[in-house]
Amino acid sequence: MAGGNLVKRGTGLGDLPTRDPSPSRDSALDQALGRLGGRVSEQIDAETRPPRPDTPDLHVTAVRRLEAVTARYAPFPDALDARLKDALAARGVPQLYTHQAEAIDHALAGRNVVVITPTASGKTLCYNAPILHAILQDPSSRALYLFPTKALAQDQLAELQAMCEQIGGTGTPGTGLGANTNRDPSPDNPSPQIGVFTYDGDTPQDARRTIRSRAHLVLSNPDMVHSGILPHHPRWAKLFENLKYVVIDELHAYRGVFGSHLANVLRRLRRICRHYGSNPVFLCSSATIANPRELAERLTGQPFELVEKSGAPRGEKFFVFVNPPVVNQQLGIRRSYLSETRRIAAEFLKRNLQLIVFARSRLTTEILTTYLKEDFENVWGRVSGGAANGDPSPSIRGYRGGYLPLRRREIEKGLRDGVVRAVVSTNALELGIDIGALDVSVMAGYPGTIASTWQRAGRAGRRASRSAAVMVASSAPLDQFVVRNPSYFFDASPEHALIDPDNLHILVDHLKCAAFELPMTTDEAFGRHDVQEILGVLAEQGLVSRGRESEGSDADSRPLWHWTSESYPADAVSLRSVSSDNFVIVDTTHETRVIGETDFTSGPATLHPKAIYIVEGTLYQVEKLDFEGRKAYVREIDCDYYTDAITYNKVTPIDTFQTGTGVGESGQPTPVPVRSHGEVHVVSRVVGFKKIKFYTNENVGSGELDLPEQQMHTTSYWLTVPASVMGALPFAPDDRRDGIVGLAYALKQIAQLLLMCDGHDIGIAINDEGTGVGRGGTGVGTPSMPTPVPPFPTPVPSIYIYDNYPGGIGFSAPLYEMHGELLAKTRQLIADCECENGCPGCVGPAGNTGPLAKAAALRILNLMGQTKIATTEDTEMEVL
Amino acid sequence: MAERLDESAAGAPLFANGTPARAPFVFFDLETTGLSGGAGTQAFLVGFAWCEDDVFVTRQYVLTRYADERPLLERVAGELTRAGALVSFNGKSFDAPVLETRYLFHRLAWIGADVPHVDVLHPARQFWKGDDCSLVALERDVLGFHRIGDVPGFDIPERYFQFVRCGDARPLAAVLEHNRLDLVSLAALTSRLLHLSRVGPREARSAREALALGRVYARAGRDDCARAAFQHAVEHSRAHRDRHGDDVRLDALRAFALSLRRAREYARAALCWREILDTPGCPPLFAKDAAEALAIHHEHRARDLAAARTFALRIGTAGLNEAVRHRLARLDRKLETATARQPSLSWPSPSSRSSRPSSGSPTSGPRTSS
Repeated sequence: MAGGNLVKRGTGLGDLPTRDPSPSRDSALDQALGRLGGRVSEQIDAETRPPRPDTPDLHVTAVRRLEAVTARYAPFPDALDARLKDALAARGVPQLYTHQAEAIDHALAGRNVVVITPTASGKTLCYNAPILHAILQDPSSRALYLFPTKALAQDQLAELQAMCEQIGGTGTPGTGLGANTNRDPSPDNPSPQIGVFTYDGDTPQDARRTIRSRAHLVLSNPDMVHSGILPHHPRWAKLFENLKYVVIDELHAYRGVFGSHLANVLRRLRRICRHYGSNPVFLCSSATIANPRELAERLTGQPFELVEKSGAPRGEKFFVFVNPPVVNQQLGIRRSYLSETRRIAAEFLKRNLQLIVFARSRLTTEILTTYLKEDFENVWGRVSGGAANGDPSPSIRGYRGGYLPLRRREIEKGLRDGVVRAVVSTNALELGIDIGALDVSVMAGYPGTIASTWQRAGRAGRRASRSAAVMVASSAPLDQFVVRNPSYFFDASPEHALIDPDNLHILVDHLKCAAFELPMTTDEAFGRHDVQEILGVLAEQGLVSRGRESEGSDADSRPLWHWTSESYPADAVSLRSVSSDNFVIVDTTHETRVIGETDFTSGPATLHPKAIYIVEGTLYQVEKLDFEGRKAYVREIDCDYYTDAITYNKVTPIDTFQTGTGVGESGQPTPVPVRSHGEVHVVSRVVGFKKIKFYTNENVGSGELDLPEQQMHTTSYWLTVPASVMGALPFAPDDRRDGIVGLAYALKQIAQLLLMCDGHDIGIAINDEGTGVGRGGTGVGTPSMPTPVPPFPTPVPSIYIYDNYPGGIGFSAPLYEMHGELLAKTRQLIADCECENGCPGCVGPAGNTGPLAKAAALRILNLMGQTKIATTEDTEMEVL
Repeated sequence: MAERLDESAAGAPLFANGTPARAPFVFFDLETTGLSGGAGTQAFLVGFAWCEDDVFVTRQYVLTRYADERPLLERVAGELTRAGALVSFNGKSFDAPVLETRYLFHRLAWIGADVPHVDVLHPARQFWKGDDCSLVALERDVLGFHRIGDVPGFDIPERYFQFVRCGDARPLAAVLEHNRLDLVSLAALTSRLLHLSRVGPREARSAREALALGRVYARAGRDDCARAAFQHAVEHSRAHRDRHGDDVRLDALRAFALSLRRAREYARAALCWREILDTPGCPPLFAKDAAEALAIHHEHRARDLAAARTFALRIGTAGLNEAVRHRLARLDRKLETATARQPSLSWPSPSSRSSRPSSGSPTSGPRTSS
């Protein structure tokens, strides 16, 4: 690690050169890149030329070279405690990077700060330094660290303990438990013992009391703060009284439902802090997203400073997009992206480059691990003769959630030591777990968001030599859009992380928790809504009660809302899933045992009778779904297909918030309103399923199902295709309908892309019964059809993209604003796809939608872009 | 009851994990707004009771206004300070932590941690009930009390909330009575425990009581008393076989055997182990320990190598581990040198073996006699 900066525990190498001389590694990398496709080496040679236009028919669709960057340093801020400076210097940090100095300055001055810097740029120092400084200045100071996963907290624990031992001089090595018996806060004491502990679901009950009294730094996660710390705040009085800093690591992880929950947890946290007279400063770090400051401010309700210019050095890096070649032009089927990933990974491994492969699911992680082990470990075993020289032989490992912590630590260490030559991982290694610096990051499939892709790419990168990131696209529409439009990825700003802290469902849940923790005053605010009114409703349910006006005149006796229920409200709220209700999966093959769980909303679609349920490659068939008991009984089965549920969604608008025209070709508005957003009622029912063969994805059968329907109120964006457009389509009614279905399929993918959300976060539905005008709405009527009942039976379909969470999560309004981009990108996706009649990469597989779906969908989009009302006659002139 | 409590007070540390619990005993019991704990769970009724000049006094603090909680806690602290020992039922896990949270909530010092605490639930489990160990079940079965018109526990928070909402205190009267009865039963159970510990096993009404008493003595290091109690438990259980009789008898035999071994009465201990081993349906773990103890006894003390080998094989019925193999190999070596001098013994008899269905497959049983 050149640059003399402490970045991660265990590196500590200061300015030592890396063991391998860089040039040979660089040339190995160049060679390997050259094997990916002809154009890569060409571009490397012609570094000064701009990259050639992206041509989607080629195997390698983009190569970008990211320049090496040299370090920019800044001295330690004068105010920083000398003992801390000494400890940092002793750990190989004689000075700071500029972004570290900037962030520390803000933090010391008591300003909330969010830092966005790439992986391995020393972001942890940005918050550790001001916090340790505060504790050195006043040993009663406390800090709370929030990590999105327990593993990240564990990873940081070791680094912080090492740091604290350095400061504490002869501090007892080890866990820190019992290390700080000397609690004498004498100012003469040059080396105070600083207690660092994790506090999460794994913390043993008997250790919790000790931690509460001894921890200066508490490393936890939002879930634990929500259900284990805030409701027990009297026991944490010392922490809350002296809370100087709250760290939110990996801020970008808190978007959508999770982020909206966290915002409310932080409202509760700040409320408790006020009660104890503290007002902590928030220190956040985030991957590159479009709106880090806005996200931080929405999450915490506080103004923020943004530090975004990294001063850390970076070696030269190549970023390559690979699209597996088409093997069936007509059906648009490409070579499996997993085989392609295997081939590419092999090119790097052969040349002794260390790499990480990201897969998108636990299943593909295991498959790729198996492939690469077969390809390499035997060869290595033979060549090195096993452990002949005492060194463990090089290996290839898998890594994902569900592995035991010990195994994970071993793999992480193996990566740092270089013994593990390749690791295949789910997104578990995307966040900041310390695995050292690798040569290459290969992504099997587009990770789903720009931010996440950069994060994964950042896992490869050495400071003194070249590195590479390769994205291998799958045939999913999102992947195909990105791989064929590299500029979308490289040149556009990354996604916005959206949250809605005032989602009424989430807010009410947390309001209950807040009232449990501390009675609410009758003039207290909690978020944007009028909570007094909500408290009134809770009082009607008997959950809270407004204290009777007191006879006394003492200040304590003003009326308050008290929690008057036996329940522990935090238990009823889970921050991570849409609903805290869930289905458990019970394996009855041998002994009865629970093998998994699924959240309530996706239960019917994944656990319907005869569904195939997969765990670590083992297939189970659902024999019985006990809907009331929320249990699915499964039995192991040997078959060559999986199942895909057919869900029927019906959306009815209840209240239209806004309606507007679209954006035409020349930026002018379209003549009729086509976009709306508002409140809707969604009824979904799983009506059947398809059996799909592994590898070939053939449809090999189907079945009908009769399951109870699920209902919710949520918010939605919807696109109404005007009657004039439908009428102008030169297709039969069935084909027009196919066009709408295909368009909806493509729209959903693009919406997901624009919203930076998981596919599960949004739902799609088509309503072609009415005009799409909600009762009491402002109307989406067309000039040619002023009456709600059309004079002729041309359907006016609406495509709804709704928030798949009761009450909505804040996607609808932004999607309404992004309407123009949504349609333009969807059109681009479909138009650029080289299949003939639709494929999984655009409007859906040809077998699912009709033969003219692609043509009709494209025609609809073209017509919708026209700025004057099209008639049947002039649309004949349109060119597809 | 007051008199008994007085004269048996010296036994209190036996039930307070060795803390110097002494008179005056202050019985306490909370009624709370919930069972989950945390900042939103309140103790709306704190009941205390003690004996004063042969009179059983109850004092109950009821929270009638939220704003009064702090003065209430200050008064409660006064009650706690004058206690020589707090006595509760499940108070260590529930009542004390809930009260502690209330003190912390109001930034008041929690002095409860400094007062010796006897939680009667734990001895009650040992002395009387393993499964349904509720106070109501205990008072019915141990004390012969029967409550009439008592408020069920699950109904209590709602009654309080009703009072909070509309100010009508009448439904609370029954809650106060419930709390008072809990305190009376608690005191009666405590009195029984202390009395037993003073008088010894002869007062025990069941083998279970005697066994539990022995364990209490053993924990306090009073080995002689413990052994006597275990012996009493064994004899009692032999005389009164009932549904649970065998379980208690085996527990008592095992405890007795261990205490005999500690007292170096090896032969008597061996008899206990044999009785365990010969009990039909004896749990495998018990049988294994018994066989191991007997193997050791016969090899090193009784010097009956063939019997030792038989028992060593019995240890292995559950699966031969390294230690058992080692023991068997050593015994075989010793036996080889010994066979020249004396014939091997046949023990135990096949009939006692065949009546033992759970002790392993017949082929793995002792077969050394041939």
